Amino acid sequence: MNQPFAPAASLAPHLNPVHIEAGNRTLAEMQDLASSLTFAAMLTDDGFEIVHLNGAHTDGGRFASMSSSVQALSDAVAHELKIGTNEYVIIASELGHVIQLRVQGHPIVLAALFDTHETLGKGLSIARIAARRMAELIA
Amino acid sequence: MSEHVVLFAGPMGSGKTTAIRSLSEIDVVSTEAANTDRATADKETTTVALDYGEITIDDVTKVRLYGVPGQKRFDFMWSILAGRARGLLLLINNDAPDSVELLLEYLNDFRELHERGAVVIGVTKSDVAATPTVAEYSAALTAAVPEQLIPVFTVDPRNAEEMRTLLLSLVASVEMRELLAPAPEKI
Repeated sequence: MNQPFAPAASLAPHLNPVHIEAGNRTLAEMQDLASSLTFAAMLTDDGFEIVHLNGAHTDGGRFASMSSSVQALSDAVAHELKIGTNEYVIIASELGHVIQLRVQGHPIVLAALFDTHETLGKGLSIARIAARRMAELIA
Repeated sequence: MSEHVVLFAGPMGSGKTTAIRSLSEIDVVSTEAANTDRATADKETTTVALDYGEITIDDVTKVRLYGVPGQKRFDFMWSILAGRARGLLLLINNDAPDSVELLLEYLNDFRELHERGAVVIGVTKSDVAATPTVAEYSAALTAAVPEQLIPVFTVDPRNAEEMRTLLLSLVASVEMRELLAPAPEKI
């Protein structure tokens, strides 16, 4: 079968303009839902940043690599303990919390840093909405 | 039972995960993700946090095998895991561009570990690329680290016996280093 143009889906997510545009839109909508969102990024499973929001004080590339490792380690723990699929990861600290979860059906992770003005529950709810939105936009 | 912690390091695609799988007596804990950087290494998956396995040698020595991601963007994992290791098993794929230079870069990245512990080099994929030779790697290592004799082997990470030889050589070096270390002063 002739296929004159490579389909967008064959590009790595961090190089795919469709994913980049969808990621920017999703993170902007996420910011509208939570002013406590200090930093957020969409990244590939293997740690490449696709897009980020509010990156003035955070090294987006390093954050993406660390989020990728954390996600993989969490998945490994869930697998080792036979407790099913890892749904999300929370790192709760004194001055903020990181919430990260997969965009269902894609090798993409959403990682978001909220300040302590946000409750963990609301942060998680907003992150879930954003992950679903990203999945819709790149479906 | 004594224990050693050994770190498997080297570029993406050098065979670290495969080597640990060849050696380990337990199910290896892996953290692999879909590889989107096919230009660097044409393989389906890549390690993004660590690999972990265990092997018992001579019935009384357990060796904990930690593999780190090859890409520099994961160097925070290198620091975390190097801190607990005493031995460095550095793999270099012979088909990598400028593989001798690349080996020296990785060796330098883990300098703190091999200066206080021990290191061996495993040259992989020498069936894919015949050069550089082991002698060329050895000459470069001698020039770069004249104070330390660093063994270089060609290995196939899929071959458990070859990997075991490499590992035993490393463990012997670690144990020798520990024996020669000055005893702590008595108060």
